[in-house]
Amino acid sequence: MNAVVATSVFAVFMVAAVALGLLALRGRGKGGGLAEWSVGGRSLGPVFIWVLMAGEGYTSFSYLGAAGWGYNYGAPVLYVVAYMSCGYAIGYVVGPMLWGYARRHGLVGITDMVAHRFGRPWLGAVVAVLATVFLLPYIQLQITGMGVVLSVISYGAVSLNWAYFVAFAVTTGFVVVSGLRGSAWVSVLKDVLVIATLGFLALYVPLHYFDGYGPFLDRLVTEKSDWLTLPGHGGGGSGLGELWFISTTFLNSLTVVIFPTTVAGYLGARNADALRRNAMYLPAYNVLLFVPMLLGLAALFVVPGLAGAESNLALFKLVVDSLPAWAVGVIGVAAGLSSIVPMAVFMLVIGTMWGRSVLSLVPRLAERQKSAAQVVVVVAGGLALLLTYTAPNTLVRLSLISYEGMAQLLPMVLLALVWRRLTFRGAFSGLIVGVAVVCVLVFSGNDPLGGVNAGLVALAANLAVALAVTFAGPRDPDPRPDAEVLAGDPVGDEDEPLAVTRAARGASDHRV
Amino acid sequence: MFGVIRRRPQLLWLLVPYVLYLGVLPFVNRVTPLVFGMPFLFVWLLGATLLTPVAVWLTRRADLQDRDRDRDRDRNRGGRA
Repeated sequence: MNAVVATSVFAVFMVAAVALGLLALRGRGKGGGLAEWSVGGRSLGPVFIWVLMAGEGYTSFSYLGAAGWGYNYGAPVLYVVAYMSCGYAIGYVVGPMLWGYARRHGLVGITDMVAHRFGRPWLGAVVAVLATVFLLPYIQLQITGMGVVLSVISYGAVSLNWAYFVAFAVTTGFVVVSGLRGSAWVSVLKDVLVIATLGFLALYVPLHYFDGYGPFLDRLVTEKSDWLTLPGHGGGGSGLGELWFISTTFLNSLTVVIFPTTVAGYLGARNADALRRNAMYLPAYNVLLFVPMLLGLAALFVVPGLAGAESNLALFKLVVDSLPAWAVGVIGVAAGLSSIVPMAVFMLVIGTMWGRSVLSLVPRLAERQKSAAQVVVVVAGGLALLLTYTAPNTLVRLSLISYEGMAQLLPMVLLALVWRRLTFRGAFSGLIVGVAVVCVLVFSGNDPLGGVNAGLVALAANLAVALAVTFAGPRDPDPRPDAEVLAGDPVGDEDEPLAVTRAARGASDHRV
Repeated sequence: MFGVIRRRPQLLWLLVPYVLYLGVLPFVNRVTPLVFGMPFLFVWLLGATLLTPVAVWLTRRADLQDRDRDRDRDRNRGGRA
């Protein structure tokens, strides 16, 4: 009976999510090229941008991995809060910069930004392939996350394999057709549910199990105090000390601003000011990330002895144990949508990168970038689903590899846009070295290296090589002026329509 | 890059979260003193999370003031001509 109730609630909301995603296109007709699909026609206002970017950042990790980390280690999991806050803050500068660059040159993602900056279309293709490799594990992560959630909240009635497929089907169901705009709409439903369910759980769980926060915190402090500071439970052996926290937060806060999905959100904005306002409001959302960690800690007392991947279920064990089936269903929906929205944007971004930067190199496909991108979405999602069936892995490590790899794009994407002297050879050699170092360190089990995040070590090597090669070699023979190649610092200008500003400036110049 | 900081020193506010979360971490990585029963590190990080929007707001406020000042100047210049 429980299974039927919870699963029905879940099913109803999933259908609603797909419908909402498709409704997003109502009144917009079938037209619109790649930019309409990939970046919502650059027309989303501050509210949608907030909802979408909050939605992307708050993935299934928040319900599963975060609670699992809270359960296993405690405080170290707060690096997520730290890097998202720092990253959102510097997004205040970087967001408008990338937005302005993309709009001025009609670009839809980091791959064609790189191609434009260095005047080499094939470089965009290389970056697209690389970024896809780093993003695929992320899609897989969302598929597994949703699978686990659905299987648990259906009280085991839905098998993992079917649950994985549902995740793929629901996401593909709307994102292929409605792109970024659809993702933003579904994100509205998601954020409402996430805020409501986590807010509720934050109050309910301590009351239900511990008679309130006072006794709960008392027990935490007296019995589990090693969970409450870094390096967390397990001591130095976990490798999650202060140095790890600082280096990981620093690296991830830089990476998150150029992460292809974040950039998709930036580029969807109607104007730069929507992004600046967003940078102000978005960090507040991170308060919610404390909740899964607290619930993970609460689970230490209620369901002790969870081991390995099971600890990721710390939060849901409490939910299933203490709430009626319909509520379990609703919380499952919130967690499920937390898989689906980010997954949709991941798939969308992969599609966009391939449609714009890889397949467009084939002359026959250059005119049909949007259709090509939509096909790639299904292929990428299908591939991730296949990997989920054949090569499953545990949650958090995967996302760390993705991040550390993606971080290596920082010099090529971000530094290159503000520093003209950086040569193609420099950036490219740096990227190769950086990615190689990440792979070696991570796969040889040396992450963190001496307490420092391996991605940061790799980024240092990457940057050193990029600078050395740049200064040792000749300047790039690129005749275009700086204004054409670099990203500006567009504060103030772009709040009005571009034409007006230009006309006004022209007029005032004339007068002077 | 340093030119940008000179023109928009308010961008330095955006480093506030880095200081709060990372810079002072070695000093706040402790359970006591408890604040309303909460371990100190959690209280600190929660505070940092609530102060980050304030830091961004300070940058934005200064940017808006700069913009208004520039507009006034442009307008006055236009008026004189």
